[in-house]
Amino acid sequence: MNKKYRLLAEQILLAQLIFTSFIILFEKELVLPPWAQAAGRLHPLLLHFPIVLLLMAFLMAIFKPKDTTEFQSYYHRFQRSILCLAVGLSGITVLMGIFLAQEQGYQGELLFWHKWTGVAIYYFGTVLYFLNYWPLFRNKLQKGVSVLGVALLMMTGHFGASLTHGENFLLDPLTTGKEISTVPLDSALVFEHIIQPILQQKCVSCHNEDKVKGELMLTDLSSILKGGKSGKLFIPGNPQMSLLLERIHMPMEEKKHMPPSGKVQLTKAESRMLYHWVSTYGSSKAKVVDLPLSDSLRILAMAFLKPKAVEVDRFDFDEADPDLVKDLNSDYRTVAHLASDSPALTVNIYNKSQYTVKQIEELAPIAQQVVALNLNKLPIQDADLAAVAKLKNLRRLDLNFTDITASGLSHLQALGHLHTLSLSGTQLEIGPLEKQLAGLKALKQLTVWDTGLDVGALENLEKKFVAITFIKGFQDDGASPLQLNPIQVNNASMVFNDNLEVQLFHPIKGTEIRYSTDGSVPDSVTSDVYKTLVIDKNTFIKARAFKKGWYGSETSSFDFLKNTYIPDSVRLSYVLNRVHKAAGAHTFFDGKLGQIGANNPAWANYWAGVRDTDLELYAEFKKPVALSSVGVHYMVEEDTGIFPPDQIEVWGATQPGAWKILSRFQAPKTSKGETPSIRLVEGRFNTTKVAYLKIIAKPVYSIPSWSRRKGNKALLLVDEMFLN
Amino acid sequence: MEKEIEEHGFSFNRRRFLSSLSLGIGSAALGSLLMPDLWKGGGAGIEDSLAAGIPHYAPKAKRVIYLFQNGAPSQQELFDYKPKLRDLRGQEIPPSIMGNQRLTGMTANQSSFPLVDSFVGFKQYGQNGTWVSDLLPYTAKIVDELCIVKSMYTEAINHDPALTFLQTGSQQGNRPSMGSWLSYGLGNENKNLPNFTVLLSRGVGNGQGVYSKLWSNGFLDSVHQGVQFSSGEDPVLYLRDPEGLDRKERRDMLDQLSQLNDLSYQEFGDPEIASKIKQYEMAYRMQSAVPEVMDLSKESDDIIKLYGPDCLVPGTYAANCLLARKLSENGVRFVQLYHQGWDQHGNLPFEITKQAMDVDQASAALVTDLKQRGLLDETLVIWGGEFGRTSYTQGTLTADNYGRDHHPRCFTIWMAGGGIKPGMVYGETDELGYNIAQNPVHVHDFQATLLHQLGLNHEQLTYKHLGRRYRLTDISGHVVKDILS
Repeated sequence: MNKKYRLLAEQILLAQLIFTSFIILFEKELVLPPWAQAAGRLHPLLLHFPIVLLLMAFLMAIFKPKDTTEFQSYYHRFQRSILCLAVGLSGITVLMGIFLAQEQGYQGELLFWHKWTGVAIYYFGTVLYFLNYWPLFRNKLQKGVSVLGVALLMMTGHFGASLTHGENFLLDPLTTGKEISTVPLDSALVFEHIIQPILQQKCVSCHNEDKVKGELMLTDLSSILKGGKSGKLFIPGNPQMSLLLERIHMPMEEKKHMPPSGKVQLTKAESRMLYHWVSTYGSSKAKVVDLPLSDSLRILAMAFLKPKAVEVDRFDFDEADPDLVKDLNSDYRTVAHLASDSPALTVNIYNKSQYTVKQIEELAPIAQQVVALNLNKLPIQDADLAAVAKLKNLRRLDLNFTDITASGLSHLQALGHLHTLSLSGTQLEIGPLEKQLAGLKALKQLTVWDTGLDVGALENLEKKFVAITFIKGFQDDGASPLQLNPIQVNNASMVFNDNLEVQLFHPIKGTEIRYSTDGSVPDSVTSDVYKTLVIDKNTFIKARAFKKGWYGSETSSFDFLKNTYIPDSVRLSYVLNRVHKAAGAHTFFDGKLGQIGANNPAWANYWAGVRDTDLELYAEFKKPVALSSVGVHYMVEEDTGIFPPDQIEVWGATQPGAWKILSRFQAPKTSKGETPSIRLVEGRFNTTKVAYLKIIAKPVYSIPSWSRRKGNKALLLVDEMFLN
Repeated sequence: MEKEIEEHGFSFNRRRFLSSLSLGIGSAALGSLLMPDLWKGGGAGIEDSLAAGIPHYAPKAKRVIYLFQNGAPSQQELFDYKPKLRDLRGQEIPPSIMGNQRLTGMTANQSSFPLVDSFVGFKQYGQNGTWVSDLLPYTAKIVDELCIVKSMYTEAINHDPALTFLQTGSQQGNRPSMGSWLSYGLGNENKNLPNFTVLLSRGVGNGQGVYSKLWSNGFLDSVHQGVQFSSGEDPVLYLRDPEGLDRKERRDMLDQLSQLNDLSYQEFGDPEIASKIKQYEMAYRMQSAVPEVMDLSKESDDIIKLYGPDCLVPGTYAANCLLARKLSENGVRFVQLYHQGWDQHGNLPFEITKQAMDVDQASAALVTDLKQRGLLDETLVIWGGEFGRTSYTQGTLTADNYGRDHHPRCFTIWMAGGGIKPGMVYGETDELGYNIAQNPVHVHDFQATLLHQLGLNHEQLTYKHLGRRYRLTDISGHVVKDILS
C-alpha cells in the first residue's frame, strides 16, 4: 500500500477504535433512528467479509514464507494491508452488531458471548495491526498470536450462528431423526401417520432389515405383529400384558429398558399413544378424525399432528397517531398497545348501560391497528357487527353474552385474520353457524359454551371443521349430583322476647326447605315445608334443603330460645375467668349465643367462664315479675375440660335479703369421648313473684377419674340465661 | 532502510497523536448523536425510556388470578406422589438427604425424624397419566389443563417471610407486591375497577395470618395498591355514599374537592396528591361497577354446580373463586385470593382433608369456567402456597395421625392458561420428596416467568427508589422457558 494511504487508513482505524469504544461504553443509552436500525440489520451480511479477511490475514501470518527475498517483504505488506482492511471492516461489523442487538428478541447468554468475543476480535485485530511496527513481534510472536486469533474467530462465528439459526442448528439433522412429514389433519391414519413415525424415529435404527437386534423388526405392521426373540410384542386390546410397553416403562437402569440408555427416549406423549394404540389396536387403519371426540388417542394424536407453536402474529401496518389513541380512551373504553414496540392495539369496552354502537364506530380511524376487541356482556346486535367488520386486522373477538345470533356472523366474513372468536352465552342455531364458519377461514378457536347448541350437532360440526378447536365448556349432565349446602338462618338473634318469625334461608334459588320441631330428621316427603313460621316458646328446629338434581343437604339444627324477662340490673359476685370475660354480668341477657371452640380466644367472645369460684349472679327487677322457670345455656367439651354445671340454685325475693330457694337442679353429666355440644338446662317451679333473683351455678370442682384431667377443676362456660 | 522508516512511523510524535485523536474524539461526538439522553444528567434511566403501562413485548396473558394457599399445603398428600415413603414409614430420614438444613424452632429440638408416607392414595389422570391425590378429585379431572411444577423452592422457613418473599420478592417487606408491579407495568384494562384486588377466606385447618402489607404498593404510586374486597354488605369499605347523599351531590363534591387538591398539588407538588385525585375518581366509577360485579344472583345453575353450592355463600373460597372470575372477566389485572388454614403441623390427615374439600372443586371450576368463556388463554391461574412440608413427621407418628413441618427445599404449585404449557409436570423431587432432583425453580424464576407471560421483562420492569433501581426479582431470576407453550 502506498504510504500516504496507509497513514490515512491508520488514522481511520484509530478514529474508529475510539468511536466504537465509546458506543460500547454507552450502549445502554443508545436510541436508534431507523437508518441505524437498518444498518444494524446488515450485520449478518457484512460479517462474512471480515471473517474471510481476518482468516486470510491470520493464515498468511501463520504460513509465512521463510526466505528473505523481496517476495517476503511484498508478502508482508500484502498481509498487513489485508489485516488493516479486515480490522476496519470488523469494527463496522461490531458497530452494526450492537445496533442489531438493540432490537427486541436479542438477549441471553449466547448474545453475551457472541458480543464480547466479537468485540475481543476487533480489539485483538487492531492491536495486532499496530504491533506490526514492532520487529520482535513480527518475527517471533506473530505466528502464535495469529493461531489464537483464528480460535477466537471460530468461537464468535459459532455463537453468532447459534444466535441466528438457533442452537444446535448444525448438528440437529444428525442428532434427531427425520422430521415427521406433515399430513393434513383430516386424512391422517392412526398407524401410518402416528404410530409408525414414532417407531421410525426411536426404534427402527436398531430393529430394521439390516440390523435385527433381538430378532425384532419394527419396520412394518406385519413384522411388528410377529415379535422377536422374547416373543410377541403385545396382544391387541391388552396393554397390561404387552412386552413392548413393559420394556418402554422399565426403569432406566434396567438393561432391558427400551430404547437403551444413551439413545433418544420416547416422550411421555409418545409412550401414552403407544399404550392407547395397543389397547385399541382395532383402530390401526382408522383415520384419527374418525375416532370418538373424547378418545385419548385422538386427543394426543391431534396435538401430535397439529403444528406445534401457534405462529406469532406479525403486524406490518403503521402505528396509529398516539394522540388519537389517547383521545379514544375513555372511562368505558380502553385502547392499549399490545406491546411497546408494536403498532397493534387492543380495545376493551365495558359497562352495559353506557354502550352504544358509536363506541365501535369511533374506532374507524384506527381500524387498521385494532387486533383484539372485547365486547363481552354488552347488548351488541347483529347489525353492530358491521362496525366490527371494518377492523380488518382483527385477530381476536370476544362476544360472550351479547345479543348476536349466528346469522350475524356473516358480517365477520371480511375478517381474514380472525383466529379466536368467543360466543359463549349467546343464542346460536346450528344451521346458520355451520354456514358462517365455512367462511371464517382463519379461525382456530371458537368458544361455544352455553349457546343452547345440541351436543350431537356440535360434535358433527367439530368433525367437519377440524382446524377449529371448539371449546364447549361445562354442562351438567345430571350424572353426578352434588349435595346442597346447609340451611342458614337470617334472624339477628336466636333469643326472643315474646314471639318470633323464624327466617330460614338457603343461598341457592328454588330450594325447598323442610323442617321438624320434634327432633326428627326432616325428609323430602313427609316433613313440613317451610314457608312462614312464628314461634312463641323454646323451639328446636331441624331443617334440610332439597332441590331437584341435588342431594338433600345435611341437617341443620337451630335452637330458638325464649327469654321473657330481662332484669333491670345485674352483677356478679366473683370475677370471671381471665380469657372468658365476655360482657361480664351482661353476657347472660344480651341475646348473643356462643359457638363451640371457646378455648380459641377468637371464638370466646360470648362465653362467660368460671373455674375456681361459683358463677353467682344477682339480678334486680324494678317491677316484680312472675317467674316460673330459669334456664342456663352452657357448653360441654370434655376433652378440653369444659364441663356442665355441677348444680344450679335459684333464689328469689320480693324484699332485699328475704331469699327463698325456688329451685335446685342438676345438668346431665358428661361422659368420656362425648362430642362437644351446647346445651340448655331448665329449672321449673311454681310461678313466683320476684323482684330480686340470685342464680348460683357451681362448676365441677373435681373432674371424675375417667378423664385424663381427673381431680382438676373443670371450666364452666355460660353464654345466656332465660327467665320465663 | 525499510525497517528504520517503519520504526520511525511507529514512534508517533505528539502532534500526530493529537491530530489522529481529534478525529477519534470527533467520532465519539458523532456517536453521542445516537444517545439523546446522555447529557441530561443523572435522572435518565431505563424506566424513563419505557413508558409505564405498556408491556415490553406482546403478552400471552393479560390477567392473573393467584389462588394462594396460605399456610403451605403438604405436597406429599396432594401432588408429589412418593410410594417409596410407604416402605420407609417410621424410619429415620438419612442424614445425607437432610443435609445441614435450617429447621424451624418447632422441630429443631426433635430427637427423631421418622419419615411418613401419605395417608391418602394417588391415581393417574389425564393424557399423560399424571399422579394426583384422592383428596383432589376435581383437580384431577382437569389435569390436562394444568402445568404442575413440583420443583419450586424458596429461601425462607417461616410463613411471613416466605409469603412476603413470594409476593414482593423480598423477605423483609416494604416492597411492592406482585400485583402492584403488574399494575405499574401494564396499566388499567377497565378504568372502573381497581387493577389489583384481594379476596380472603379461611378453612378449618390451622391458620396463619395474612396482612395488608402483602398487597401494599411499597414505593410505587399508591394507585397500584391492592384493594381488598370483603364478603359483607359492603364489599369495598367506604365505597357507599353516606345516607342522604345522592350521586349528583357526590359528583359536585368530588369536583370541588379535586379543585382544592389541584391547588395543593400545585403548591407542594407531592405526587401522592395526584394519586389521591385519581383514587377519588376511580372510587366514584367503582360505585356503579362494583355492585354489578359482586352480584351473584344471575349466575346460572350450571355455574353453581360447577363451583359447588358454597359459591353462593359469601366469604367462602368457592365464592371468592367465582368473584375472581367475574373481576378478571371485567379486566382486573391481578386478583389475589388467600385461603388460610394449610399449616398442618399436627392432625394433618383430618385438617388437610377439610382444606382440600374447601378448594378442590372451586379451583378446578375456575379453570374450566375461564376456558369456556375463551378467557383461559389470556388469564394465568396459579395455585400454591409459600413453601412445602417435610417428608418426616412433626411430633409423634401414630397409626393414623401425624404432622409435617415447614420445608423450603421443594414444593408444588400449578399454573393454568396464560400461555403456560398445559398437561405438563415440570421438575422432580427425589424419592423421599425432600430435595429437588431435576429442574429447580426458584421463587424469582417463578416471578420472572409470570412477568414474562404478561409481556414484561423482569430485568427491565424497574423503579428507582432511594438511589437505586428495584425489581420484583431483585438481582436474579430466569424465565422457565420449558413450561411456555
